[in-house]
Amino acid sequence: MVSELPWDSRTGTLKRDLAQGMMDPASRRALEAALQIKETQPAYICAITMGPAMAREILHQAMALGADEGVLLSDRRMAGADTFLTSHILARFIQKECQGEYLVMCGTQTSDSETAQVGPQLSEELNIPAITYAGHVEIKDRVVEVHRHVDEFFEILNMDLPGLVTIDLSAYKPRYLALEGVEKAFENPDIRHIDARQLGLDADFNALKDSPTRIMDVYSPTAQKENRVLKGAVKKVVDQLFDDYGKVISSAMGKDLKTHEHDEA
Amino acid sequence: MDFNPCMKHQLIRKTVREFAENEIKPHVSLLDKESRFPWEIVERMKPLNFFGLQVPKEYGGAGLDTISYAITIEELSRVSAAMGLCVTVHNSVGIFPILQFGTDEQKKRFVPAMARGDRIGAFCLTEANAGSDAGGVETHAVETQDAFVLNGTKIFVTNGGVCGTVLVFAVSETRDKKKQASVFIVEKECPGFCVGEIEDLCGMRANPVSSLFFEDCRVPKTNVLGQLGQGMKIGLTALDTGRIGIAAQALGIAQAAFESSVSYARERQQFNTPLSKFQTIQNYLAEMATKIDASRLLLYRAAAFKDSRRPFSGEASMAKLHCSATAKDVTDLAVQIHGGYGYSKEYDVERYFRDAKVTQIYEGTSEVQKMVIARTILSQPS
Amino acid sequence: MKRNKDIWVFGDYRNYFQNRVTLQILARAVDLSTQTGGTVCAVVLGHRVDTYVAEYIAHGAQKVYVIDDPTLRSYSIERYSWLMSWLVTRYQPETLLVGATRFGQEIAPRVAKKLKTGLTADCIDLEINTKGLLVQTAPSFGGNLIAKIITPVKRPQMATVRPGTFPELPHDDAANGQVMVLPLPGDLPEDRIRLVTSEHRPSKKQKIEDADIVICGGRGMGSKGKFKKLFDLAALMNAEVGATRPVVYSEWVSHDALVGQAGKNIKPKILLSFGISGAIQHTAALSDAHFIVAVNKNPNATMMKMADVAIVADANQVCLGIIKAIKEKARD
Repeated sequence: MVSELPWDSRTGTLKRDLAQGMMDPASRRALEAALQIKETQPAYICAITMGPAMAREILHQAMALGADEGVLLSDRRMAGADTFLTSHILARFIQKECQGEYLVMCGTQTSDSETAQVGPQLSEELNIPAITYAGHVEIKDRVVEVHRHVDEFFEILNMDLPGLVTIDLSAYKPRYLALEGVEKAFENPDIRHIDARQLGLDADFNALKDSPTRIMDVYSPTAQKENRVLKGAVKKVVDQLFDDYGKVISSAMGKDLKTHEHDEA
Repeated sequence: MDFNPCMKHQLIRKTVREFAENEIKPHVSLLDKESRFPWEIVERMKPLNFFGLQVPKEYGGAGLDTISYAITIEELSRVSAAMGLCVTVHNSVGIFPILQFGTDEQKKRFVPAMARGDRIGAFCLTEANAGSDAGGVETHAVETQDAFVLNGTKIFVTNGGVCGTVLVFAVSETRDKKKQASVFIVEKECPGFCVGEIEDLCGMRANPVSSLFFEDCRVPKTNVLGQLGQGMKIGLTALDTGRIGIAAQALGIAQAAFESSVSYARERQQFNTPLSKFQTIQNYLAEMATKIDASRLLLYRAAAFKDSRRPFSGEASMAKLHCSATAKDVTDLAVQIHGGYGYSKEYDVERYFRDAKVTQIYEGTSEVQKMVIARTILSQPS
Repeated sequence: MKRNKDIWVFGDYRNYFQNRVTLQILARAVDLSTQTGGTVCAVVLGHRVDTYVAEYIAHGAQKVYVIDDPTLRSYSIERYSWLMSWLVTRYQPETLLVGATRFGQEIAPRVAKKLKTGLTADCIDLEINTKGLLVQTAPSFGGNLIAKIITPVKRPQMATVRPGTFPELPHDDAANGQVMVLPLPGDLPEDRIRLVTSEHRPSKKQKIEDADIVICGGRGMGSKGKFKKLFDLAALMNAEVGATRPVVYSEWVSHDALVGQAGKNIKPKILLSFGISGAIQHTAALSDAHFIVAVNKNPNATMMKMADVAIVADANQVCLGIIKAIKEKARD
């Protein structure tokens, strides 16, 4: 039966979750940075993810790439956590497990939410310094040196360990997984599963309820396509375009355009 | 019975697909057009262990099981059948016989460079007067003091134009003047080894299928694979393994053609209706999906049998027979669904169509597969 | 101090003139405050920042909190986030808005965490609902969905705002604003991050795959010469130019520009499509384009059917018309 094979009958492609099960591109760059550090000096890489049991696969992938162990923070009660709670849960684990001179490496932003909040908030939770958008990371004599390019400024920054960096999406192009690594990662999988109780999260902890923000409404921008047709003289249709969609255009340009009402103001 | 792929096999599939989509796909059309073998892509493939898929780690390979192997070839071929072909031939009939029949010394001498991808492997059996009938081989080896001297011409050698280490099927005479077939490991540096012209073929054009000439080609005695006279046995074993690879390749081609058809049928409009709303097209898609699914099940079963060290010759032949027929049928329907565009080089389906046919021919034609299948049926006690 | 209705805007002045997001948010804050009451306040941290204080007042800030100290000379995430949190705790604004520059996206989550409040990232709209709550509209799930988010209990309500979302108010030299200059708090912790070097380096050219605006042209542009006008438009809009296969085959433009099969997939916020009928090998690469404006003489072209706005006209003429309009409307 088709549905029992790795098959998506809707798109006619193999494996519905082929892309979903892969490590987020941003995290992959963070892991790549960690692997490159490990190539130059002794290091122990612990890959951590939070999610459903299925997320184990990502940890296998991390280990296949060269992480030394994988930790899955998974609990029904953690489901639906926003960035505020995610950083709280991650911090609980790190505080429990890591002492001394550790470096937390995160992707800048995940592809599903793009909030870029977890890294900075995690550093707040852990009360350690953090440098975001790192394009290059080096550890020299227990000092972390980071190069980054932020808001048109190139900076070199230093901090002591423990610390946290988030890796920029344009840096550390991730290597491909070697098939040998896949085989190895499944031979001896050092993956731990940690639940809410083990982290000492409160008994009445409920991720959804505790979120400070609430989603009122979600809609698809494409579903709302009105397919509006403009006809007539060029001058007229161009004016109409800017009158009605000037805000959309200026927002994408990152530049303010005079709109009609301001012309009159 | 569990039809769900395990996490490891999922990860293998994702890994190969990601690589193939990113690194090979953008170039496939041009490589086909120019009939060019992409050495630069080979370089990028090396670190992923594509050239030592089932080679044990002690010889520098990935040590994969056969299902992983089949998935790898399937995914490579889904993007580039020609590169899928290169990899499967290299692994299954280039390296595997050395691992299976070679001495320890031979394994150490030849396998690591092949597993790294530094030397691409090939296997040559077919000649002008011998193909399905291995008994007709005319390439012969004459034993001298320190070497065998090979003379003959092999044709249609997959990877021929780029091979570094090639297994050559040749006949020699025993002391009592009986003919015996053996396999010789020949390296491209051997004096008297020469690559002939690249064949101008219908499909698989990025793979340099060529003839190979052996003119007083001196091969050290230590290069006889296994023992003298083991040729037939080695050949048959290699082909059983090779069939799994070709079946996987055919499946990958069919899969690509199918995916392209589904998306085209959804987007292409005729009479103000997407093609996918027409029952004729739905029937085509249903037929294609069913054939592909059946092929996949046959293939993974053959691979699983091999992994569990059960006899798999009949299963491999069934898989090869069915997968290649599926590739031929599905790519044909894919062109039909795409209409005029399907016949145009602007779309990939015409390439799938050209690439598919040969899967019914090489590594044992469909007719030969039926012979093998019939033999396994009839050899069982009634 | 008692909570009030004030709306605060973080004064992000680095790279000012190019970076105008603070002014844009101030303008929106003025709008919002007419519904909620309260004062629109800017916060400026730094050294010798008088120009910015004046600039913010001229663009709508009714009050500006300033901490001016040599130790704040360069942007410091640790000091700035600590000070923002300190100021908010002290003055209890209802709302804190931050421009979604990279620095803004870094400081906002840290301040939110210190204050234990929520934060909505990269908003593309801000409104006030009937209960007086700030409704924060932001793309989520990779931009495939838009979410409307509120912060029901925790305060302040915090959001970062995508640059270019709101028009700024015209510069008003006569505007009055109160300036509250505060001394650097004595208990400001040591900065754990050491700045070794910092230099202004404008960013490199973007790639079409990452561009927020892509302008695609097809054979309908008419000729190679006319096609080149798309590059003029692209320069004005900070956009990248893409093309269909026939255009690339005709060598109007290099292969790098090919969008679609054998070329690139794009995911712009806006796609302007000129003279493209919409062969499937092209349109398949556009599924992540958020807003599509298509121009074609043929209203039934596939491209026109999948557009948000379909302009039935000559592509080349409309291209020239838009160039003219943007030149007139751009402020700088």
